[in-house]
Amino acid sequence: MSDEILLKIRNVESYYGPIMAIRGVSLDVRKGSIVTVLGANGAGKTTLMKTVSGVMEPEKGTITFEGEELQKTEPHKIVERGIVHVPEGREVFPLLSVNENLTLGGFTRSDKAEIERDREMVFSYFPILKERRNQEAGFLSGGQQQMLAIGRGLMARPKIMLLDEPSLGLSPLLVQEIFGILKRLNEEQQVTMMLVEQNAKVALDLAHHGYVMEIGRIVMQGEADKLIESEDIQNFYLGVQEEGQREERRWKRKKTWR
Amino acid sequence: MDTQTPLPETHVVRGITLNKDLTVRPALIDQSDTMAKLFQRRCAELGKRTAHREKDLGIWKSYSWADFWTAAQRIGAAFHALGLERGQVISVLSEDSKEWAYLDMGIQGIGGICSGVYTTDSADQLAYLLQDSESPFVVVENDEQLDKFLAIRGDVPLIKKVIVIDPEGLHDLDDPQIMFLDDLYDLGQKTLDQSPSVFSDAIRAGTPEEIGLLIYTSGTTGKPKGAMLSNENVIAATALQGANIPTLRSDEQLCFLPLSHVFERSISIFGSIAAGSTVNFAESPETVFDDLREVSPHTFSAVPRVWEKIYSAVLILSKEATPLGRWAFGQAIKAGMHNAELTFAGKPVGLASRIRFGFWDRLVLRNLRRMLGLDRIRRAISAAAPVSPELLKWFSAIGVPVYEGYGMTENTAVCSINTQENTVLGSVGQAVAGTQIRISDVGEIETNGLTTFPGYWKNPEKTAETFAEDGWLRTGDVGELDDNGFLRITGRIKDIIITAGGKNITPAEIESGLKFSQYISDAVVIGDQRKYLTVLIMIDQENVEKFAQEHKVPFSDFASLCAAPEVTDLIEAEVTRVNKSFARVEQIKKFRLIDVLLTAEDDELTSTMKLKRGLVEKKYKALIDQMYT
Repeated sequence: MSDEILLKIRNVESYYGPIMAIRGVSLDVRKGSIVTVLGANGAGKTTLMKTVSGVMEPEKGTITFEGEELQKTEPHKIVERGIVHVPEGREVFPLLSVNENLTLGGFTRSDKAEIERDREMVFSYFPILKERRNQEAGFLSGGQQQMLAIGRGLMARPKIMLLDEPSLGLSPLLVQEIFGILKRLNEEQQVTMMLVEQNAKVALDLAHHGYVMEIGRIVMQGEADKLIESEDIQNFYLGVQEEGQREERRWKRKKTWR
Repeated sequence: MDTQTPLPETHVVRGITLNKDLTVRPALIDQSDTMAKLFQRRCAELGKRTAHREKDLGIWKSYSWADFWTAAQRIGAAFHALGLERGQVISVLSEDSKEWAYLDMGIQGIGGICSGVYTTDSADQLAYLLQDSESPFVVVENDEQLDKFLAIRGDVPLIKKVIVIDPEGLHDLDDPQIMFLDDLYDLGQKTLDQSPSVFSDAIRAGTPEEIGLLIYTSGTTGKPKGAMLSNENVIAATALQGANIPTLRSDEQLCFLPLSHVFERSISIFGSIAAGSTVNFAESPETVFDDLREVSPHTFSAVPRVWEKIYSAVLILSKEATPLGRWAFGQAIKAGMHNAELTFAGKPVGLASRIRFGFWDRLVLRNLRRMLGLDRIRRAISAAAPVSPELLKWFSAIGVPVYEGYGMTENTAVCSINTQENTVLGSVGQAVAGTQIRISDVGEIETNGLTTFPGYWKNPEKTAETFAEDGWLRTGDVGELDDNGFLRITGRIKDIIITAGGKNITPAEIESGLKFSQYISDAVVIGDQRKYLTVLIMIDQENVEKFAQEHKVPFSDFASLCAAPEVTDLIEAEVTRVNKSFARVEQIKKFRLIDVLLTAEDDELTSTMKLKRGLVEKKYKALIDQMYT
């Protein structure tokens, strides 16, 4: 991990029609690091991802990538710059084969030999994809589809991968497997990642730095190992119950985010 | 009542019979010398009329005076059956609700003393209050508050029963010490079936000298002290309200400040019983501004913080308006300010100005008031903490005159107030009829009247300290009286800062100047025994975030917002602005921001969201020391 800040988000505000989904978010992703954004449903995490990848345009604020502002850039240009968004809910092309899906991931590149090398690299991380390379992606299991979505993302040789809830709908064992692979990708291939998650435990174990979002704002940030110690995180994201007076406790203490 | 004493001369004010001279005994309202007697009378008189409303699943539901009586009577009878003796304390730990009012009148009626506990108090604070008051019974709002009791039940052996108002989530609870309010009502009804007059008899037995309320004052230093208020205090204070700031039977009120505090209690329970007005209980502390809009009360009494919040909400709204809207709003405020300044200066407002204001009032301000829920307001009051005169001027400009008043638990919350006829901006008004005010040799404000409390609960030492030799109440506030009797408060006597240079400074004035800034939510001036003055500032999160967004200042969480140099510059500009109105020795040399987002649960804040000086000075010692190195 270097000190160079790869992705710099400053005071971003994004709207869905009249509704402000992100109310001024600033965050940094350093080169080679994994940053996670935690938060409940509707906190604005996905919107933040979409704003970075250019699917949504921010009303205010700047997004700087490698020193250049890209908040008004078209999504495909953003992919060419090396930002790859692995969307929520996998979204592979179900009627295309695994191989074709991976090829599509590399659409921005032209060097055939390089592409083939990367395909082998993907297969080395996800051997199951190699086994099923000629099957239609729609026939893959949920976990395999997630692997394919990540693999397809890797084919673009990304400088940063935006991962939107890779654990969604997967069994705990598969989640462990996929997060293990993400860790290796970060360590061995130096892939920078910005990870949106609801599963705070795995996300904080994997990430170096974390931000907590609530109704469009960042309410807490810090090193991942510090965050995991915070009482609020433990109570509201890790399911730790405080020692109560009675067995069935309905009320929760108020969040303070400190 | 003792029939031998000659009855004082009375007159009728807005339908209520009051003593002509409010300083003579017995203090009476409609021939009643205790609040419970007055309550009984009102309920009989008003029967099916609406006494209060409360929101249930989003819908305002009305409850009549007859309902009020039935519930209070059952509560009183039930506590009688449970063995409550006259003069014993029952503690109530709940947010404002109709049940709070029922409990208050039920307990006072049966001869008990009702003592409120703030819902933001911790379990340890609850333990202290229960021990100190020797309460045999405690009423808690819900499972959350019950858990506080359960955490400390071993420390409060005197508690016989705990009554839970809301059984939600506790249906499986099986504990002989705990019962629900519905069971209490049933017990009360059974008791009344056997002896129907038990509650009325107890009310009749009440005397003016008996203690009706025990109100713990927040205690910024040391443990809270329980101020006792007698039935006479309560009746006298309510009569002062009735004579000086009358409430009408047709008035709607909004009850939202904690009823554990004397301010809301005297207005929303006692004031409303005396006037027969309708009280609307806010749904929760978070929804106050929505409730306000829905209720649109005729009289509204709030603490400065509420007025500040309304002000900054309007300011934010106007910034987001269209350019035309912004311009119109600016013109309207200008016209309003012009009139307000003339009025406060005691000068006549010319016809042209009145027409101009009328125009903008119809076009802009009327809508604004309707949007805020202040369109029906007849009288608005700010009290319980110093409010900035600029803020009052602004409210006057939008057509909502807010009058500042002054009072404290120890004189049953009524002491002085500005009125429509007599207002001096920056003062807390003239002494209300029935109360006398003087300034002692050391500059301390002292008051006298039937509202003066008899003393602190089981604390003769503190009680003695609170009274001057001739029985006047020493308020602990420092102030001045002008030639027309308008009282100006400059600070707390124990807060007076004596700088190393030997100069006496009352920090409250500087602090309220700072608090007028929309970016500053509270401030504590420091400088006792130091070379110069400094200040710790708590920023207003919403407005500063807004500023940061507008000026592209990056921040993530609250701490990083406070650390941003642009924010520091912003606050510095505010400090500089305030410094201009003070002499050199009174100027702030340095400041620091408190970069933790404090909530009412934190020890540093009082339940009215004021910073506690003593605690803040201790807790942020490192930060303070930085400013003096």
